[in-house]
Amino acid sequence: MEKDTYIIAEYIKGSIPGETLEMVTFAGELSPKKRPTIVLLGRDIAGPAQGLAEKTGCDIIAVMGENLELYNADTYRRALLDILLPLAPTWVCLPHTAMGYDLAPGLSVGLKAACITGVEAIQGRTFTRSAYAGKFLVDISPTSTSAVLTVLPGSFRPCRDFRGPVGRVTTVERSGSSPRSWTLEIKESPHRDSALKDAEVIVSAGRGIGKKENVDLLKRLATLFPRSAVGASRSVCDLGWLDYRHQIGTTGQTVSPKLYIACGISGAIQHVSGMKGSQTIVAINTDPSASIFRVAHYCVVEDLATFIPLLIEESGDLPPAGHRPPQPGWP
Amino acid sequence: MKILVCVKQVPDSGETLSIDASSGWIDYGRSTVFRMNRYDEFALEEALLIRESLPGTVVHALSVGLDRVGSTIRRALEMGADHGIHIRDGRESYVSPFSVASLIASCARTRGYDLILAGVMAEDDMACQVGQLVAALLDLPCATSVIREDFRPGGSEILVEREIEGGCRQEILLKTPAVLTIQPGINAPRYPSLSHVLRARSQPQEIIESRDLGIPEQQEIAGRLRAPDLTSQGIFLEGSSREKARALVGILHEKALLLQR
Ligand SMILES: Cc1cc2nc3c(=O)[nH]c(=O)nc-3n(C[C@H](O)[C@H](O)[C@H](O)COP(=O)(O)OP(=O)(O)OC[C@H]3O[C@@H](n4cnc5c(N)ncnc54)[C@H](O)[C@@H]3O)c2cc1C
Repeated sequence: MEKDTYIIAEYIKGSIPGETLEMVTFAGELSPKKRPTIVLLGRDIAGPAQGLAEKTGCDIIAVMGENLELYNADTYRRALLDILLPLAPTWVCLPHTAMGYDLAPGLSVGLKAACITGVEAIQGRTFTRSAYAGKFLVDISPTSTSAVLTVLPGSFRPCRDFRGPVGRVTTVERSGSSPRSWTLEIKESPHRDSALKDAEVIVSAGRGIGKKENVDLLKRLATLFPRSAVGASRSVCDLGWLDYRHQIGTTGQTVSPKLYIACGISGAIQHVSGMKGSQTIVAINTDPSASIFRVAHYCVVEDLATFIPLLIEESGDLPPAGHRPPQPGWP
Repeated sequence: MKILVCVKQVPDSGETLSIDASSGWIDYGRSTVFRMNRYDEFALEEALLIRESLPGTVVHALSVGLDRVGSTIRRALEMGADHGIHIRDGRESYVSPFSVASLIASCARTRGYDLILAGVMAEDDMACQVGQLVAALLDLPCATSVIREDFRPGGSEILVEREIEGGCRQEILLKTPAVLTIQPGINAPRYPSLSHVLRARSQPQEIIESRDLGIPEQQEIAGRLRAPDLTSQGIFLEGSSREKARALVGILHEKALLLQR
């Protein structure tokens, strides 16, 4: 029997985010012979549902109701279980986002399915995910007949426009809401720093800087560059070493400067997703297997406390123009 | 108000961990130091802050795992929890979030907690599941990534803000009892006071055997851990520290990224 795969789409501020389109690619690898069905929830979503049916060729279940305008875990879970339980899906896929990881475990309990979160790769019925901040990978296979999966954003390409027939849109009206949980509003971020957005070079601090005083070292490094700014990992902001307006990552800002220097940052996916678009990435880390080295173009295995002063020193001593610097260690 | 905080023990510093060739899991050698999952420290601190603002509140800390987990429960008592619960479970390698959550849920079911808190995820497994699973198993409302919470007068409703993408916040009103998973940055976890450290030393911990709660069947199996393929397109600079610094300056200079002097 061909497997039935359902994707729970996101709909944020009037558009379908790229993460949802990545799920279509993921579902295609999961079950190559049968196109997945996409479930979209919201208030006025007839237009986006049709657009999604055209773009992906997938059948769409559009669940519409007053109470579905803003995401709410309890309301969405009830609506989804009412729809999915009679369909007995084999796979239910969500992006690993603030909606996806909020919703997936509860869905899995309702569906009596396994729950595997943060999936990065797939082979047959085996799903690969990271552990220990990306230092290790582990393969997990469900033993139950069905599973709810959340997929890390960026692990699969967004699907390309489908050339075949347009998917069928089925509309379901839904009036109910949770009797115990209500989403009141979405508030915009209280901390935004335009300095980060405009910077051409970002020198970014991770927990590996060890102490607040070392922020000054990074600030000094930043002065070597024009239009530079200091960024930070979440941990550094949580420790109070830098203010949250410096934070880069999923719950901070997304940046794409010409140069990003990650100092003592392990490379957790939540951080990397906010900076991986940088043109040149340099990482300084004592751990040669730190996952930041998977995205860095230039990898420096060094203690930043001793290396950054050397770097500052060397930069004051540049070779005359036209002279090519020595380039040991690489072709 | 009665609060349960779920705390997990994790190995300190992922840097030195290696994989045991025979078990295919982490080699927790003698030198491994264990500590409380940092995300859970924020959850525990939040419970202690609620207790400070609502007199009469009691805070229980619970952990599932091997004997060594007792030291993390003691840490919770040192930070100020009133009571420690250890669900003793002998499994060393992969324990699914579902089976941990089932044990927590069956322990919590009859104890009348108004609030169950957990960290948003564990630093080692990074699953982001246990809190939500406990909520579903106990049929309670739940909010994840909570960065702020306020009880409405009377305490039967709680207003929370959860952090979502792009630094935005979703404001949710929940009826208690409820489960919250706590986002770091919500507070600054305290260091234990000396008096609490001394008290925790002699404070007994309640021990429950996981088999007495009934270990549910895992719904998934985990293969061996492996190191990710480090074939980054990146170039590892080589040589002495100074040579690396010089090489990096050369590269940045070539790319015209450094300030021209
Ligand atoms: C819902 C959610 C949202 C999140 N959002 C974000 C986000 O927006 N942004 C974000 O950054 N994180 C975010 N995180 C946290 C993220 O998962 C990581 O915990 C965090 O990015 C780790 O920060 P770090 O790399 O600074 O610290 P660590 O992971 O502790 O890494 C420190 C690194 O420093 C290295 N190091 C130590 N000493 C030295 C030295 N002397 N010299 C050089 N290197 C050294 C170590 O080898 C290690 O690799 C989020 C987490 C969750 C659950």
